[in-house]
Amino acid sequence: MSASQSAVRSRAEAVKVSRTFDWLICFTLFFVVLGGYHIHYMLTGGDWDFWTDWKDRRLWVTVAPIVSITFPAAVQAMLWWRYRLPFGAVLCILGLLLGEWVNRYLNFWGWTYFPVNFVFPSNLMPGAILLDVILMLSGSMTATAVLGGLAYGLVFYPGNWAIVGPLHVPVEYNGMMMTLADLQGYHYVRTGTPEYIRMVEKGTLRTFGKDVAPVSAFFSGFVCILIYFLWHFFGRWFNSTEFVKSA
Amino acid sequence: MAATTESVKTDAAEAPLLNVRNMLLGASLYIVFYGWVRWYEGVYGWSAGLDSFAPEFETYWMNFLYIEFVLEASTAGILWGYIWKTRDRKVMSITPREELRRHFTHWVWLVMYAIAIYYGASYFTEQDGTWHQTIVRDTDFTPSHIIEFYLSYPIYIITGFSAFLYAKTRLPAYQQGMSLQYMVSVIGPFMILPNVGLNEWGHTFWFMEELFVAPLHYGFVFFGWAALGVMGVVNIEVASISKLLKKDLA
Repeated sequence: MSASQSAVRSRAEAVKVSRTFDWLICFTLFFVVLGGYHIHYMLTGGDWDFWTDWKDRRLWVTVAPIVSITFPAAVQAMLWWRYRLPFGAVLCILGLLLGEWVNRYLNFWGWTYFPVNFVFPSNLMPGAILLDVILMLSGSMTATAVLGGLAYGLVFYPGNWAIVGPLHVPVEYNGMMMTLADLQGYHYVRTGTPEYIRMVEKGTLRTFGKDVAPVSAFFSGFVCILIYFLWHFFGRWFNSTEFVKSA
Repeated sequence: MAATTESVKTDAAEAPLLNVRNMLLGASLYIVFYGWVRWYEGVYGWSAGLDSFAPEFETYWMNFLYIEFVLEASTAGILWGYIWKTRDRKVMSITPREELRRHFTHWVWLVMYAIAIYYGASYFTEQDGTWHQTIVRDTDFTPSHIIEFYLSYPIYIITGFSAFLYAKTRLPAYQQGMSLQYMVSVIGPFMILPNVGLNEWGHTFWFMEELFVAPLHYGFVFFGWAALGVMGVVNIEVASISKLLKKDLA
């Protein structure tokens, strides 16, 4: 290419070209990250996210933040560390929630007729906002991992409480005490239901003790710190512009 | 798509830098086609897709599978063959404006890849979860698998490899070797398709309807991570486009 030639004819055209690329990049990044993040999340924490009778106070609270902090950490490693854009985590969660809501409505409800108030996705946005804000204010990967990761785990249950609280009200049904969410599950039997019951009935999970959720959130926050570190470095690797030369 | 067999365009000014019409037509093609596919699932999933031994299953689902195999193989052959056959053999001598135009065309391909990845990895994969939580399978070729594994995955593989091939054959920025992250972002999601072999083997071996978080599915997860390779591609593109525009934006 000749260095004396210009790719554009005026500064105005250069600005327009630059803005157009911004939009193309945003669209592509958003939907490719959505696809990768969604398949990751649905296959590592999906069952807890699909059904309200899985949205318990121990495993849901523990698993969902741990498996969902991955892509936000990796995308922050690009958007903040390369371009100083402080919305990597929110971008990921917006993508994930869009993919989930479209699916829950058009397929869980639209194809197999599970009611939406049985299959709505978990709310991960409060943790994502905290991750982005802490990174923006601190400019530190370590602070974001330690403070943001811990906050991401801790805030998950309170962030969902207003949504699932009404479904955790105890009810008596045929002489048994259960939650409204359980009742939904009994009415909408799924092909994997026996396995589900084994998973959900572990330990003290189904008692009405008050300590299960905070302890689970704290443990989740601890693991989130470690996962954030790990995925930040994964993200850095995925950011490489290296070329492989043929031998 | 820009004609690229000739290396130097002396009068490239006439063609728009970004062919918006082509981009919208491409996007519409995916969206309308998948809208029709979803309609087909809705109608024939319940009426003909519950029993793989029934004659109507052969009519509406197995024939759908055979047709999509043929169409996918021929589309891939024609598209990849065309992109390769019309490659630019003097790619390093194109004008900056032509290079910019080709970056835009490359981004049209990447936008298509984004749409295809969304439908494959998000829309039809989670849809598979709800179908198999509702219907006990008696075959590997269930209605949701025929769409998810054997239609939406090949489509994003064909699209992604087309984007990769376009960049490799027409853009100077990709002539210094094989972009590691471009290969990761195309070959990684491609590997989800061979991983279907493990998935089907496991579902045949164990009765596991249908714990989505079962370790049997972790292969999909691992290869899904590869989509993040798009970040490396974006970084290469940003550097190339910045180089092309830098003095004009200064």
